[in-house]
Amino acid sequence: MVLLALLCLPYLARAQANYEIQVYGAETVPPQTLMVELHSNFTAQGQQATIDGVYPTYHQEHETVELTEGLNDWSEVGFYIFTSEQDGHGAQWVGDHIRPRVRVPDSWGWPVGVSLSTEIGYQRSEYSTDTWTWEIRPIIDKSIGRWYFAVNPALERTLHGPDVNQGLGFAPSAKIGYDFTRVVSAGIEWYADYGAIGNIAPARNQQQQYFIVTDLNVSPLWEINIGVGVGASSATDHLIIKAILGRRFDWGRHSAVD
Amino acid sequence: MISRRDLLQYSGLAALAASWPAFGQEPPAPDFRIDIAPLTLDLSPRHRLKTTAYNGQVPGALLRFKENRPVTIEVTNRTDRPEVVHWHGLFLPPEVDGAVEEGTPPIPAGSSARYTFTPRPAGFRWYHTHTMAMNDFTRGQYSGQHGFLMIEPAAEPARYDQEFFLALHDWDGYLLASGDGAMNPGYAVATINGRAMGSGEPLRVRQGQRILLHILNSSPTEVHWIALAGHDLRVVALDGNPVPTPRPVPMLRLAPAERVCAVVEMNNPGVWVLGEVRRHVQALGMAVALEYEDRRGPARWEQPSDLIWNYEQFTGAKPTLPEDPPVIVPLVIESKFRGHGAMEAWTLNGKSYPEAAIAPLERGRRYRLQFVNRSMDDHPLHLHRHSFELRNLGAPQDIHGILKDVVLVPALGRAEVEFAADHPGATLFHCHQQNHMDLGFMMVINYA
Repeated sequence: MVLLALLCLPYLARAQANYEIQVYGAETVPPQTLMVELHSNFTAQGQQATIDGVYPTYHQEHETVELTEGLNDWSEVGFYIFTSEQDGHGAQWVGDHIRPRVRVPDSWGWPVGVSLSTEIGYQRSEYSTDTWTWEIRPIIDKSIGRWYFAVNPALERTLHGPDVNQGLGFAPSAKIGYDFTRVVSAGIEWYADYGAIGNIAPARNQQQQYFIVTDLNVSPLWEINIGVGVGASSATDHLIIKAILGRRFDWGRHSAVD
Repeated sequence: MISRRDLLQYSGLAALAASWPAFGQEPPAPDFRIDIAPLTLDLSPRHRLKTTAYNGQVPGALLRFKENRPVTIEVTNRTDRPEVVHWHGLFLPPEVDGAVEEGTPPIPAGSSARYTFTPRPAGFRWYHTHTMAMNDFTRGQYSGQHGFLMIEPAAEPARYDQEFFLALHDWDGYLLASGDGAMNPGYAVATINGRAMGSGEPLRVRQGQRILLHILNSSPTEVHWIALAGHDLRVVALDGNPVPTPRPVPMLRLAPAERVCAVVEMNNPGVWVLGEVRRHVQALGMAVALEYEDRRGPARWEQPSDLIWNYEQFTGAKPTLPEDPPVIVPLVIESKFRGHGAMEAWTLNGKSYPEAAIAPLERGRRYRLQFVNRSMDDHPLHLHRHSFELRNLGAPQDIHGILKDVVLVPALGRAEVEFAADHPGATLFHCHQQNHMDLGFMMVINYA
């Protein structure tokens, strides 16, 4: 997910991007487990001008802390703290989001994993002119042997800001991965924003990003994702380096008989 | 050298006939009949599923054989695919043991066949399908094709007033991502004798009785832990073989295909739960009420706080087998990664079935199989047509006297068993987890 970027396109010039770059899988965090993730994204080539009071993305380092708590076998809630660091602006708090999610339990025997998340949150106007936004994200994934497929056809809406009257926007993302070994997987992630449904943005204003990524499955406790992405349209940051480092913490009193 | 006893055992009395005699002669009536056919099974009011079963019931009929008295079982396959019935725990020739890999002919769809053999050894055995399932979680051991088989012993291992046969089974499987990075089966329902808790009849007992429980884990893949609230279980036999040291235990652990016979004194009147110790499995239905006469009300469960079991507690003081040095056969178990979206494949000494092999056995010699499990899964290992003695379970000291046909080797653990090569013929060795044997964890052992 390219969270804030997708929320604010096609008005990219007034928005910032790339606080969480991740295609969601359908799995949720188990109950009595806290998933702590650090998303580190550096825009190597991006917007260089301040527009409508929104800082440029060029050479910004975004650090996002994501805390996700499993509620039961089929639901979780996530909380985000977005920060940005940049020469001339220092380290800044950008905003927070909250994201509940439910999924189809494995025991239903569906042929694909399915979950649905919704996300609402605030970001400072220096980083996005749309300060309150909402998103609903269906998540469908499937593992077949060494291959992994996921698609997130997200819909989003501005609740407060210049785009409040734009209606629902369509911002899909997808991932294809391949397991080279038990530990090393690699693949391609795609993030797009086509603008408002019913008023699709012209191609130059759409966002199209492609990342080459690797996932390192070193332990069930750890999540590691590293990638390099390029923007394929003029409205997209042109070169981004991303990393996700996650660790599961089991805080419940689990016993062998649970 | 073939003895007369061998001739009787392996030729005249042991045969699988797939067609009837010519000239219109009707064969003599079999001692038992087994019909393999589709069945719609109500596991509970909320869980109905289509499976395949023996004689329209799950578990199949309890068969009682006399030790060393030949029997003929006529099996009719009313399904649309070949089937074979394995007589688990018996010393049978490969032609009738019930494994196609050993040479038992499959029973074609719509056909009948007769298994004629001399049952031995005495004890609690079972019969079940021995077909592949792969990713179809309605086939093979995932189905309802299992039943109890009791070969009546000359002397009972324990005095009892009433006996119950209980089969633990898991149903409605689905693929689930597991912590080891691969897929494994998960289940929607778990039952005892094909019924989820509250859906079947309780076990009815009277105060002062001594009951004998014959418990079979017929699950395709899952280990189960069983306790009877308010009572200890005195284990008298494992896999149908009397243990050297019977001992009361708070709970039983049964790996797939394992059996435990346990005596329980009915000295705590009430209505109790006999069920899976782990909460999440009992919640799937694996429990049954035990009801004392004139006692009613909800069944009571006392939740144990830990899982407690080991084979060693039943060991004997003296070796059962002679102490001449056995032939050592190391068997290293490893998994082969096939992707996070697939179940793992398996190797023995680096090779999967049918390439996996060891040197042919010499008849009459003793062999010690040294299992080295380098995988992250536990494995219930089963040797066909023989019993083996547990000799070492990873501790510095050997153990003696526990005869079994299945041993659970823990993840990253070791175990050693010994057996005498006294039943010539192709002998299948495999993990009894259906998905493991489907994906290469089998080996045919030949005798020289």
